[in-house]
Amino acid sequence: MDIERIRKDFPVLSRIIRDKKLVYLDNAATTQKPSVVIDAIADLYKNYNANVHRGVYLLAEESTQAYEDSRDAVRRFINANSTKEIVFTRNATEALNLIAYTWGEANIHAGDEIIVSIMEHHSNYVPWFRLAHRKGAVIKIVPSRTDGELDMDAFKSMLSDKTKLVGIVHMSNVFGTINPVKEITALAHKKGAAVVVDGAQSAPHMKIDVRDIDCDFFAVSGHKMLGPTGIGALYAKESYLESMEPFLSGGEMILKVTLDSVVYNELPWKFEAGTPNYEGAIGLKAAIGYLEKMGMDTIESYERELTSYALEKMKTVPGIFIYGPQRAEKKGGIIAFNIKGVHSHDIGTILDSEGIAIRAGHHCAQPLMIDCGVSAMARASFYFYNTKQEIDSLVAALKKSKEIFGHVA
Amino acid sequence: MSLEELFKEIIIEHYQHPKNQGHLEHPDAKSDGSNPLCGDEIAMELIFDGNVVSNVMFTGNGCSISQSAASLITEAIKGKTIEETRTIMNEYKNMLAGRDYNADILGDLEALSDVKRYPARVKCASLSVAVLDQALQQKK
Ligand SMILES: Cc1ncc(COP(=O)(O)O)c(C=O)c1O
Repeated sequence: MDIERIRKDFPVLSRIIRDKKLVYLDNAATTQKPSVVIDAIADLYKNYNANVHRGVYLLAEESTQAYEDSRDAVRRFINANSTKEIVFTRNATEALNLIAYTWGEANIHAGDEIIVSIMEHHSNYVPWFRLAHRKGAVIKIVPSRTDGELDMDAFKSMLSDKTKLVGIVHMSNVFGTINPVKEITALAHKKGAAVVVDGAQSAPHMKIDVRDIDCDFFAVSGHKMLGPTGIGALYAKESYLESMEPFLSGGEMILKVTLDSVVYNELPWKFEAGTPNYEGAIGLKAAIGYLEKMGMDTIESYERELTSYALEKMKTVPGIFIYGPQRAEKKGGIIAFNIKGVHSHDIGTILDSEGIAIRAGHHCAQPLMIDCGVSAMARASFYFYNTKQEIDSLVAALKKSKEIFGHVA
Repeated sequence: MSLEELFKEIIIEHYQHPKNQGHLEHPDAKSDGSNPLCGDEIAMELIFDGNVVSNVMFTGNGCSISQSAASLITEAIKGKTIEETRTIMNEYKNMLAGRDYNADILGDLEALSDVKRYPARVKCASLSVAVLDQALQQKK
């Protein structure tokens, strides 16, 4: 991989921050965008902008085609069977809410059990928490083991005939743990439970095959995989979508409306009310094109090498504690940590003065923070455009933050 | 702007060895607050002697800025009248907002003046005064 050439595809990476070269290590929050994505969006507005699925003129045909091509790109990217199974949403959060408010509303009843893990991002916890509250259902939490992996024994013992839904994050946005979603799905299906996989962190970094996983739902966010903000997707098995009531309603999601009857549109448009974010979808298609050209296997193996290097180097920082799996084979390129005596916010500010962008805070995973006995963590997260030199800069800055606060307990 | 200006020795000193940390028996007023985004937490307890803040203690956890601010501000107001306390708080707010302020009134609290250049951190420095504000409202 020619990293220097790849980096040139990302205009923002050449920015100077406080007299230093930008070192962007907050990729789990959102990724930077290559020129092809930025250009694809500009191209739409310069050359063929028109509302989709409406006009009879050439511009509208072109924009509709581009929008639907993007759906097919998402389908191919996660290996879904049909574009009927790909619903565009604003982001992973909206995809997960869509499931809760449609499938969940109809299928979760008092006394039913919903199993999620302690590693969930708030967006794969709060919708189920609220659904359970509305319905009188029970939420069960699969703990993680001390090595940062999911406690599968606990999961197996929680599964029962009462389990109606299992929600699981594919790659934790804190620990980086890659959860065994295929095994989880098979076990859940034996009990007749539906399975929701939160793929917000996994889809950008590894090859996804929803048919192989066999999950019923899979959620992604475009902005975490080189795409623009405001576009995400829900994959759902066709049989599920067929049985589900619409989420939002209005234009686009209908075939026919009279004053006393409404016929819903076909899949997947039944779930896309109103003018969709076709700009976002067109940007996402360019992003997927970029990722496919690089190859997800190449991306995954490069990031693993980077993560392995980072884990090794970061361990040399005095007083550092790294959360989650300690070996790169077990995780994606996400490293959450704390340094004794230096609060993660202070680390964030000190690193910022070196041009290094990392995340500090609770990472929208407060149950996991509580479980770890902390209120905040610092987190560095990588993408394929990061380099070993950048990790060296990170480690040097971490050592500096330790120095500023003195070597005290 | 340099980090040494933000993380002055006095800030780190108050972060690592906070003054007035702990609880009071039978406080006349107490209040707490947090910054949901970052998880900084501060709780304050006050005892009044007539019109004077005769004692104040805090508990909390969070970054050096939020915790040193609590330590410094409790030092600054202990033994002051409520009116003087409000003046200190106002001058402190002026300083964080980048307005003119009276350095004599602020004393050691002026150590936090560079926080205003780090917009993301102003909330950390402001938490204590917000909590104090609420607590003072309980004083009849
Ligand atoms: C694991 C995980 N799930 C869901 C989300 C939510 O993504 P979005 O905010 O794009 O909806 C995130 C984003 O941080 C995430 O890391």
